[in-house]
Amino acid sequence: MALPPPDPEFVLRGTSAAVHTLHFSCGSQEPDAPLLFSGSENGLIHVWNLKTHRVDTALDGHGRKSVYCVETMGGKDRLLSQGRDQRICLWDLAEGRTSVTDSVFMENVGFCRCSLLRVAPGRWLMAMAAKALEEVQVLELPSKTSVCTLKPEVGAKLGMPMCLKLWQLSCGAQPLLLAGYEDGSVVLWNLSMGKALSQLDCHQEPVMSLDFDSEKAKGISGSSEKVLSIWSLHEQQNLQVYKTHKLVNAGISDITIRPDKKILATAGWDHRIRIFGWKNLKPLAVLDYHTATVHCVSFSDHKNPSERLLAAGSKDHRISVWSIYTQT
Amino acid sequence: AALQELQEYVLFPLRFALKVPGPKQERLVQSVLQCISSVLAATCVKKQELLQELFSELCTCLAPLSGSSKPAPLSEELKLAVIQALHTLMHSAYGDVILSLYQPSTLPLLGFAVSLLLGLAEQEKAKQIKISALKCLQVLVLQCDCQEHRHLDEDEAQQCGDLFASFLPGISITLSRVVTGDIKQGHKTTVSAIRLFYLIVGLVMADGQLARVPKNKEKLPAERSRITELMVHRGPDWSKSTAEKLSLLLHKMVEFSSVHPHWKVRLELVELVHHLLRNCSRSLVGSFSHLLKALVGLVTDENSEVQSRCNEVLQGIAEQRIVAQNRALADVLSENLHSLATALPRLMNSEDDMGKFSTLSLLLGYLKLLGPKINIVLNSVSHLHRLSKALMQVLELDVTDVKIVEDRRWGCESACGPSGSLQHGVLKGGCQKKYFRFFTEEKVFRLLQQVCRVLGYYGNLYLLVDHFMGLYGESALYRKQAAMVLNELIAGAAGVGVDVLQEREDSLNMDDLKASVTSILDEYTDQANWYLITSIDTEEISQEQSVQRSGLTARPGGACNGLLLPSPEPQVTTRTMNSNIWQICIQLEGVGCFAAALGKEFRLLLLSALYPVLEKAGDKTLLISETALGTLVDICEACGYDSVRSLINENSDYLVNGISLNLRQLAHQPHASQVLDTMLRHSDASLLPLVEDVIQDVLSALDQSYSSQASTFLRVLHSVMAALVQWFGPSCGEEHQQRPTAEQRSRTLSQGQQVVTKQEVEQFFLDYVRQKQIAEGNLPDPGDEEADEVPPLAKMEPNNPDTGEAPLPAHAQLAKDVMERCIHLLSDGNLRVRLKVLDVLELCVTVLHPHGNHLLPMAHRVWPALVTRLISDDPLAVLRAFKVLCTLAERCGDFLRQRFSKDVLPKLTSSLLSQAPASARAGPVYNHTLAFKLQLAVLQGLGSLCEKLDMGESDLNKVADACLIYLSAKQPMKLQEAAQ
Repeated sequence: MALPPPDPEFVLRGTSAAVHTLHFSCGSQEPDAPLLFSGSENGLIHVWNLKTHRVDTALDGHGRKSVYCVETMGGKDRLLSQGRDQRICLWDLAEGRTSVTDSVFMENVGFCRCSLLRVAPGRWLMAMAAKALEEVQVLELPSKTSVCTLKPEVGAKLGMPMCLKLWQLSCGAQPLLLAGYEDGSVVLWNLSMGKALSQLDCHQEPVMSLDFDSEKAKGISGSSEKVLSIWSLHEQQNLQVYKTHKLVNAGISDITIRPDKKILATAGWDHRIRIFGWKNLKPLAVLDYHTATVHCVSFSDHKNPSERLLAAGSKDHRISVWSIYTQT
Repeated sequence: AALQELQEYVLFPLRFALKVPGPKQERLVQSVLQCISSVLAATCVKKQELLQELFSELCTCLAPLSGSSKPAPLSEELKLAVIQALHTLMHSAYGDVILSLYQPSTLPLLGFAVSLLLGLAEQEKAKQIKISALKCLQVLVLQCDCQEHRHLDEDEAQQCGDLFASFLPGISITLSRVVTGDIKQGHKTTVSAIRLFYLIVGLVMADGQLARVPKNKEKLPAERSRITELMVHRGPDWSKSTAEKLSLLLHKMVEFSSVHPHWKVRLELVELVHHLLRNCSRSLVGSFSHLLKALVGLVTDENSEVQSRCNEVLQGIAEQRIVAQNRALADVLSENLHSLATALPRLMNSEDDMGKFSTLSLLLGYLKLLGPKINIVLNSVSHLHRLSKALMQVLELDVTDVKIVEDRRWGCESACGPSGSLQHGVLKGGCQKKYFRFFTEEKVFRLLQQVCRVLGYYGNLYLLVDHFMGLYGESALYRKQAAMVLNELIAGAAGVGVDVLQEREDSLNMDDLKASVTSILDEYTDQANWYLITSIDTEEISQEQSVQRSGLTARPGGACNGLLLPSPEPQVTTRTMNSNIWQICIQLEGVGCFAAALGKEFRLLLLSALYPVLEKAGDKTLLISETALGTLVDICEACGYDSVRSLINENSDYLVNGISLNLRQLAHQPHASQVLDTMLRHSDASLLPLVEDVIQDVLSALDQSYSSQASTFLRVLHSVMAALVQWFGPSCGEEHQQRPTAEQRSRTLSQGQQVVTKQEVEQFFLDYVRQKQIAEGNLPDPGDEEADEVPPLAKMEPNNPDTGEAPLPAHAQLAKDVMERCIHLLSDGNLRVRLKVLDVLELCVTVLHPHGNHLLPMAHRVWPALVTRLISDDPLAVLRAFKVLCTLAERCGDFLRQRFSKDVLPKLTSSLLSQAPASARAGPVYNHTLAFKLQLAVLQGLGSLCEKLDMGESDLNKVADACLIYLSAKQPMKLQEAAQ
């Protein structure tokens, strides 16, 4: 018989608001404690020290409006955050500073998280929902110059973009963008041509989250329905549904494939975190701790595999941290 | 100066008088000798011949008659005069001149004088003679105490050493005989004998001299061959055999004089050891085991001078790194240590406390002397094994005391009251007094503590920790001792309370220490070692066992689990329980020790350590909970927190985390609730936001397991509510007093009522918010709570408070949630549960009191269940229920009137009426029965109840009727008073 599902390694309390996004930064050298950034509904970004399990600093830069995306740019000293005040802020956290160095105003009011891709040292591409309803805009950071705007064909009726994933096959290759739309379709965009390469209708409902494994050329998306959809990308840049997986309870708010591409975690509206094997989507565990919708899941980037963690942030104000690396 | 020039002339007649053959009058000789002495004292001898001649002439005065071996039958005065004359002679000789006496050619003469003096020293009765003979000898071997003498340079010393080597056997044997002679000879003799002994031995056996002695004997001119035969060649062979002989003598002397009643002798012994160690540490290695033993033993001498000198010497030895540099000495020490460790258990068994004390101080002394070389000993498996086994056996605890198990902490009923006093009592901290099997004296334990600490200070920490952890896991028999040793090791390694002779070579590595502490801590708080059976409460046992089982399944590979688990049918004796209790206490003390060792670094470990400690602080066994509180105090000190309260407040996030995780497992629920309980008891309102979070967990856990865990959770709920009442008590109390007055006024002034309540409520909220802010001052995230609280306040003020749908403050919401659960549990099958529920209910009502519009609906829902309790339940429950009713009545007033008169009153009055005849008839014993208490409570409560509820006339009549009977003279006095 399988082992009972584990308990959280520990639970971080004190955000005092629903947690919308999480991002680890654990790759640094020994004297620096591993960090976890969390963005919550009250507009604060908390920097958690994973050694003491306490908040090191709380960053307030979004005017008390919900923060729903936090990413680091390079080390843990540069941070990007996206909030409901329609701003994307770039933070400088080095040497204890907590200042916003730059910000991008978004004209879109949706929930779509931006996606960040490092294309060269010190150069990033960022995709975000644009002002026009169905459009996606790609900027280069830190210069903030617009690279392209991706407009669907007239009459495509995709609805708003819901989730974005920028990726490239290898360093220096052509960056591509996967976008999930309100009508349940996933579209692969070529950035240089500004053209949709392929479109796939995965879901009946809006795509809530997607993640893509460029090695296996497979991606997974979740929506508000009871289905997870796995699709693959053929050599002709053509998306195809590979498999679907039925869930017991509807609603997936976040999907993340672990960096080593072995398992993936989903954040469910049913308060549960589910772990699947990525190869065959075998359900591995259901982590039950939260008492409200889980908003986000994130895997840590510890150098040592045995230390790696999974964190989940939920509407119940808590962040649960799990150690599941060894058991799978 | 004039005399100096005439010296020879003056001396001549005197010498002549001595030299005249034939019998002489003793008095004459004596006067002559005295005369010579005074002349010599005033002048100095400048000619070699004169010196030699005088010397020989003086010696012949004492010469035995030829043929007989006995000394000449001379008077004591004469002997004394001769000795003194010799003494002065030696002093009056010029530096260069006197050296002429120490040529191989004069050896026979010297030998004669030496043997003469030795004979006197040994055989004479008079103390004076003995002492002066010894003094004179001292001068003779050029080791006089006085300052006038020229210091010998190396070659001269070497020469003298060669010379005296011939006398060494004679001198040493005689002296040792003197030393070990009759105690009645007086300490002075012994002291000077010892001094002479070490001086001569130190001279002849000096390492420096022996090293320079050539391998082969020098060829001396043939004509002096006779004398050469007398000379000793101090080659390696000679020194080896001499050392062996000396070792025997030293052993005898040391044995004798280390227990000598006079302290000066012991002091001199210390000097002896010091001198020999300094000068002959290589040549006399063989004797050092005795010497060091004596020295170390004397550290604890009763005379403070001996003690301090001894310490000085030890310090000196350590500072000069004699031991550290001398491998052979270290070997000797480790050999001693080994044999002592082997004998230790036997000694501890047989000796009295004093003996044990000295044995252990010996052990400690060895360890201290070894200092940084301790690792040599520890690296040898057999040494380490012996030593640890000895410690294990010596430290065995006496676990037969039954009281430990019986001492229980008061139940929850008095939970909130004594928390203050509890903290006071514990603040003094300190360890629990332990009772050992083999000794009772505290100072013996202190010594053992020092032994462990010194080990930890010098020793290889990883090796030691590993070894003792092995013992800890090896058998339950050693577990407590090993834990004790581990605690002290860590304290020692951190340098806490260690008294050492020398600094260790490499300073402490904090990371190593931390790593060791972490591993020990993990082992201590491992389920198998932390949750032990400490009581025979069936309920608890089953829980403990389930925990242990679950621990087993959780770590099936655990090495020591198998040993620990009780057999399927556990025969839990008092003994094992006692032992378990002690083990937990020792482990708790360990946690405190580690905190002290790591200081502020320990804050990081609080993450894992605080929860288990708090859990034990909530334990029902008095000893454990007290120890745990002591540990908390220690942690506070080490980590720089002001008080236990701030410790808990600032780390409440860690605790809450632990509680919420443990609540998820059935087996751990009781522990989690214990932690919460303790946390609440030692903390204040600033915890509320976090506690609120976890209480929700508790409630949901309760919802999932009503039947099995109800009583444990009720305990938590009770403490939660008690804490709430305490934290928010002042405002409740204020309100409480204001209410009745307001109501009274409202009766007369119907207009005024609203104004009053409005102000009152406003005031209350202002108070409340202020308190809240104060309480939240140091919380990491005050924003949320205030955000919740402030808007309602703003809204409240313009509104009429009676109609406003104000969201409840957090604590009241909590109380409401708890009350909800209570309603369900009121009809639980278990009487104890019901009683507890009623208690909790009462507290809930108190907390909810200021929030009337929430309380009333709840009261409405509670009512039916409460009535059932009042009407048809065990008298105990009725009693409690009545109390709840009274509290409720205070709060809800007329809301209850109708229901009360309809549902309860008839039953109450009828029961009062029916009980009346019984109590009227009953004797004094009745005062102690339950029925009596019930009657009393009802009678006392009814009056105020009626008043508060503003009862109708008919109801009042009923009450009055019932009470009237009790005014009868036949009823017990108390009841009568109550009825009035």
